Parts: sequence; structure tokens; C-alpha cells
Amino acid sequence: MHLPTARLLLALLLPLSATAQAASELTVYTYPSFASDWGPGPAVKTAFEQQCSCQVNFVVLESSGDILQRLRLEGDSSEADVVLGLDTGTMETARQTGLLAAHKIDTSSLNLPIDWADDLFVPFDWGYFAFVYDTEQLPNPPASLEELIAAPDDLKIIIQDPRTSTPGLGLLLWLRHVYGDQAPEKWTQLKDKILTTTKSWSDGYFSLFMNGEAPMILSYSTSPAYHMAIDKTDRYQAANFAEGHYLQVEVAALVDSSNQKELGREFLQFMLTDGFQLHIPLKNVMYPAINLGPELPDVFDKLITPSEARYFEPAEVAKNRRAWLDEWLNAMTR
Amino acid sequence: MSDFTRAPLSQPGWQHWPGCLFALAIVLLTVSGAGALFWQAPALDIGDLWTSRYLRSVVLFTLWQAFLSVSISVLLALPIARALDRHRKFVGRALLLRLMELSLVIPTIVAVSGLVSMYGRQGWLTVAIQEWLPSLSWNLYGLNGIVLAHVFFNAPLAARILLQALESAPSTQRRIASQLGLGSLWLWRSLEWPSIRPVLPGIVALVFTLCFTSFAIVMTLGGGPATSTIEVAIYQALRFEFDAGRAALLALIQLLICGTLWWLVLRKGLNTALIPDRQLVISHARPDAKGVRKLLDSGLLAAFGLFLTLPLLAVLARGLPGLADALMPSGFADQGLQLLKATALSLGIALPAGVVSVATSLLILGAKPGNTNTPISRLLETSAYLPLIIPPLVLATGLFLLLRPKLGIASEGLALVALINAMMALPFVMQLLRGPLRNLDPASIRLADQLGIRGWYRWRWLHWPRLRRPLALGLAYGTGLSLGDFGVIALFGSPGNPTLPVLLYQQLGSYQINAAAGTGLWLMMVLLALFGLFNLVGRPPTKSQGLQAPMPNQLETSDA
Repeated sequence: MHLPTARLLLALLLPLSATAQAASELTVYTYPSFASDWGPGPAVKTAFEQQCSCQVNFVVLESSGDILQRLRLEGDSSEADVVLGLDTGTMETARQTGLLAAHKIDTSSLNLPIDWADDLFVPFDWGYFAFVYDTEQLPNPPASLEELIAAPDDLKIIIQDPRTSTPGLGLLLWLRHVYGDQAPEKWTQLKDKILTTTKSWSDGYFSLFMNGEAPMILSYSTSPAYHMAIDKTDRYQAANFAEGHYLQVEVAALVDSSNQKELGREFLQFMLTDGFQLHIPLKNVMYPAINLGPELPDVFDKLITPSEARYFEPAEVAKNRRAWLDEWLNAMTR
Repeated sequence: MSDFTRAPLSQPGWQHWPGCLFALAIVLLTVSGAGALFWQAPALDIGDLWTSRYLRSVVLFTLWQAFLSVSISVLLALPIARALDRHRKFVGRALLLRLMELSLVIPTIVAVSGLVSMYGRQGWLTVAIQEWLPSLSWNLYGLNGIVLAHVFFNAPLAARILLQALESAPSTQRRIASQLGLGSLWLWRSLEWPSIRPVLPGIVALVFTLCFTSFAIVMTLGGGPATSTIEVAIYQALRFEFDAGRAALLALIQLLICGTLWWLVLRKGLNTALIPDRQLVISHARPDAKGVRKLLDSGLLAAFGLFLTLPLLAVLARGLPGLADALMPSGFADQGLQLLKATALSLGIALPAGVVSVATSLLILGAKPGNTNTPISRLLETSAYLPLIIPPLVLATGLFLLLRPKLGIASEGLALVALINAMMALPFVMQLLRGPLRNLDPASIRLADQLGIRGWYRWRWLHWPRLRRPLALGLAYGTGLSLGDFGVIALFGSPGNPTLPVLLYQQLGSYQINAAAGTGLWLMMVLLALFGLFNLVGRPPTKSQGLQAPMPNQLETSDA
């Protein structure tokens, strides 16, 4: 009874505004900053539409975590053909939903710090998590995780919640990779230096870090590239930590229930060409997934080069995520 | 009398049934939304509550911060309301009142960024105070920030309601007090306390619920898992971990605590007008509004005014450059156009949401005859408070699960957003309309009955003149709340077509920091414009029109 009521209300509220369906449309679920006017989305869309004579529709979800969530909610009735924006921390969980299809495309042009062989996921960019600091507030940043953890409590940092944000999860994995079972102990020591834990990267970066609230924030080693290239300032830099940095690879995949699989594969293949990748460095502010050669903006030469790429296999993350999260929660509420 | 001569819509059923149906629809919508989630949850693991340190700390912290927030908000609101009642004619009073009404609908992310500019580590107030008192170590993040922001949002609301209660004190008693020159203490005991006592439980319950279910504030100023509220924990369980079981468990605890509170308050018979209808009561000067008292009051009101305006001025200062860029001819092509498109979409969702919430409130209120304790009236009452305590995310996710296969086109999703937004505004809009709709004086009713003014005519000539102001304010609230929504829209939002809050988050996510500040300011300006516009609409046309029942208020005050 309630369902018809709701439907009736809906029908009353919005008189027909259904749009005509074009011959072939590709629906891509993605996150806001990718599809926004300033992200790579619009340029990529134009470029792909020219070669495929189809229409690309971005469905913008709240965050990359939401892409997975939405996929699970919708199950096999999803309207998505491609999901773009999962990462190595979440992709195994996505694989376990069984809702994705093999990509069957040639990934030989990939240029990542790790070897990549995966039948479901195609990387489209990558980067290292790093603490970005304000050189005016903090001329001498810690040179290692250990130094950060041992620093006096008046050094304040902003991090993100590992449950709602991929960089937040990245930090959790980073500490775990470096310290193993001692990670909870290290979190307890780090706790008093955490000014605040924000829901998403953007909440912390915009209203707090850029406002001078804390001299350091968990972000990407590539973030300074944006400030240097677009804002024309060297003020914000990433601290190079001696233990190495945790690697994030962002991936896309084909949805199994899609009836546009060929078009979807064409898009995934297009992802690994210049037409797509040229927009990654300064619009998604990450490293491109293929070698762009001289097309890579000069500012990328000024970024830090980690001594070691820290990385857990996605299956390892999926197996332990819940336990590691609970350890973190307990350490933080102690 | 035959049916032929009946006034339109004067059939008693017309007053009764639509309201009942709507109330039933709301309850069913809520129950099915939450139910879908419970059904999706594997099994409720209640043992989690005892074994997980985190869950225990979440529940305890939620209670503790809500208790602190409610205490400080109400303790601050009391003297403010008294001072405003004492001084009815000072420059900026109207402005201050308007600002207090606005506080409920200011989008959290915008206000929080203003609060940070004031009280953050680099906030100018913090810096200034630390200059004088270096030993004082103030940290905004954590309990401090949460309580401060809750007071910022709720003290004005509480003060506004209290002021309304004070103003309703019988004017004959006021006259006597004025003639006898009675002092402050006597006034408090004989006039003020009796008039605020009945509304106090309602205010406490309302503010407690708002702080208890607080989400965005805790998320931004909270500081970490140690300072999480239940609503935040629900969000985390649902959004990233897909842990429907934990979300359902937490939602149940929240429903239990807030539901019990409201049940206790409602059982005692809640005073009707929780949110003020703006009525200009011209009254006698209060004898205790002179001398030192006047000086103290001025200081208090000035401080409160600054407390409310300074963070908003900070938003203005930070947002102006970005907004100027967007609206300049050079930037207009993409950025400005994007802003206007988002504004249009936001209004396209918010205005219908406002209209639906006002219409539903009227129907539900119209269906409830007085304070009878029948199942029907209990259903009507429940439908009014349910949206306040059910987490919107739980509702939205549940409905999503239910409607998923059939929810085809984007516009259906948008209609659902408008519908849920309308529901969320319902408790506030209803409080606003309840008093004016009910408190019709017996003389007018008798007169209308004798003249056979019923149905549509009764509404047109009896209610409409008194209701147009509260209706306009209700529309402003309903529209404003929906305009700032970022939660429901994120789940059902449309492809690449952002509303203003979504646009704000998109800009934040892509390093567009100036543009984001500009969008935040723009959102505030649209809200202000809406309130101003509805205020104009709600203002009755000047003087005398045809058949208007005599208004005792006017009679009473004309001899002042």
C-alpha cells in the first residue's frame, strides 16, 4: 500500500520529463571531482564521444566509497555500464560483489610502480599518499613517519576517516605496512597530534588546511603540483618520509549487467590513451597510468620521489580491513 | 440545508481525511524505509553494544554532548529572550529577530567554515584572545567545537520561541505590572515564568533532538572517533562499509532514546506554538527596562548579535572574491553559468519541497480536533515528530532499496529528494502553523458559525488573514531546509547536474577553493533572498478588506 502511495506522490510531483534515449549511451558512475567542470571528466567525455559516436553520461556520486555502495545497493539492476573511481583499497570488496565483468582489453601500455595483471580492473591513474605541509608554518617538516609520531604534541595534523575516505584508509594501511602489529600502539602515540579527523579529503583540505588551521594534512604527493602549476605557488609541499609512501592506484571496471559491454570495453581501452591520460596530471592531480613522455607537466619533476612504494595486495586489504579498522577505532577511543 | 447550498469543501470529511491519509503515508513511508534496512540487515548483533568500546563510547558521547549543548543553549536563550522582551524598540531588533529565524536553515558546511574563521586555531578571535591570555589554550576541535556550533545554531531558535511565549503573556497583567511599577523579580514570578514554563519541555526536547542527531557539525569539528555521534556512526556503517546490521542497531538506539523523550514531553501535553508566528504585540513599556538593567541588556544583546553575525561576515569576506570571479563577464561563461544552473535546480527541488511541507502540515493540523487522545490523533502527532528522529540517511537508503528497480529516470529521483526534504521540514513547519491555526478566538468562531462561513469561505476569510504570515515563514523554512540539503540529494542526485550544496562539494573536491567559498556565500544570499521574499509575500496588504472578523488583538492594542 505504501509503495503505490509513494509512487503516486512522485507522479504528482513531477510531471513527465523523461528524456529521449539516444542510440547508444554509456553511463559511467564516478566521483564529484572527476566529473566536475574543472576535473578531467568533460574533456574526456568530448574526446571519447568523437571517436565512438555515442553519448557518455557521468553519474556523479558523493565519493569513491559511494560508487561501491551504490553498486551494491542497485545489484544487477544497475544502470551503470562502467564504474570509474574505485581504488586498490576498495577493489577487492567490489570484486566480491560479483557484479563486475572481465575487461578483456590490452593493458600492455600501463606504466605503474607495480606490476598489474587483473582481469576486472583497469587502472587510470595513481599516486602516493603523503602529508602536505605549509612551508610558511612549518619550515622543517618531519622527515619520517617515526619523526611525525615522536614529534611534540603541538605539531598538529589533519587526517581523514578511514571508514569514509580513501586517503584515510590509505594512512591506515600505510601505518600497518610499516609497523605491522605495532600499528595500534603507534596510532595511540599519534592520536594527540591529530587536530581533527574529517569525513572526506575535501572537508579537511578546504575549510581547515587552506585556512591555516593545521600545518599538515594527509593528502597526495601530487597535490603540490596543482598549487605550483595553477596557483603558481611553492608554498605547499609534500613531506618525503624515509619509510616510503603508500601507493594508491585508481581503477575502473565494466559492470556485468550492462547491455553496452562492447562500448564499455572501448571506453576502458580509450582510458589508456593520450586522449584520456593527458587530462589526468593537472585535472585529477595524479600520475597518469601510461607514459606521457614530454607531455607530463614540468611541475611533476618537482614532486617527491618516495624511497619505497608501500603496497598491500587488494585481497590482503579486503581480508583484514574490518579488523584493522576496529583496532584503529579502539586505539582512537582509548 | 441541502447539499446544494453548502459552501465548497465544507463536508466534514474534507477536513479530516486528507490529513489522516497524509499522516498515514508519512508513517508508512518512514516505517517502510527503516524496515527495508532492517530487512536487509543480516541479524541485529545487540551484543556489539557491550563488547565494542567504540559503540559504547559513541552512545555515551552522543548523550553527553547533547546534554551540554541543550543546557548552554537554553541557559543563554533565557536572558536573551527576556532582554528582547524588555526592549521592543531598538535599532536592529527586527534584523536580529530575522537572523535568529534564519539560524535553523543555514547550511552547516557554510556556517562551520565561518565558525572556523572565528574560533579556529588561526581564527582571529582565538589569536586576539591568546594575545591577552597566553595561558588559555582553546581548541575548537572536539567537544568544544561541537557544543559551540550547536549553541550557535540552537540558542537563537530557543530564544525566538521563548520570546514568543513571553510576548503571549496576558496584556492586562502587563498593564497592571506597568502601573504598579513592579520589579524584575516579581515580573519573573508572576508573568514570565508562567508563560515560558509550558513551552520549556518542548524546547528542550527539540534542541536535544537536533543536537542528538547532529551530523555535519560533528563530522567537521568532531576531531575523531572518540567524539562521534550515533548519526555519524550510522553514516559510516552505511556509506562505506555497507554494514546494514550496525546501522540498523544504531538507528534503533537513536529512535528509542529520542522517541522516549518525545513521548514523555507529548504525554504531558505540549504547548502548541514551538516556533513563533511573528505577531507584532504592541505592549506597555516594562518597568524593569531602565537604568543599569538597560545597560546590561544592551551589552548582552550586542554580544549575542555579534556571536551570530561575525561568522557570517567571515563567510562573506572569504566568499566575495570567488563570487566576484564567477559573476564577472570573464568567468561567467562556465563558472557563473554553472552557479546559476545549480541555483535553478536547487530551487526546483526546494520550492516544491516547501510547498508540500506547508500543505501537508495544514492538512494534518486541520485533521486534528484539539487535544483528544484517540489513536487517530496519536497517529497525526507521531507523523509530525517522526521525521525529526529518523536518520535521513536510513530513510533514504531504505527507500532506495525499495524503489530501486522502478526508479528509472533522474527526475523521479529528484522528486523523491523533494519529498524526503519536505518530510524533514515537516516538524518545524507544523510547529509554526499550529498556534495560529488553533488559537482562533471563540468570538470569531461563533460569528463565523452564525453567518454560515464554512469550508473554503471559512479558510479564505477567517484563517487566511491570520495565517499568511506564518504560512510565508513556513514556506521559507521548508524551502530553506531543502535548499541546504546535502545527504538525501547525494543518494538520489542526478547525473552531473549538481544542486548548490553538491556544486560546493564538487568544487571543494577539485581544489577550487575560491570558487567554493563563493558558492557558499551565494547559497547564503539565496537563502536570505528567499526569507526576504517570503516575508514580503506574508505581509498583509494595508488595512481593511471586506468581510474580516474582528480581531481582539487589534481591539486590545488600539487603546495603547
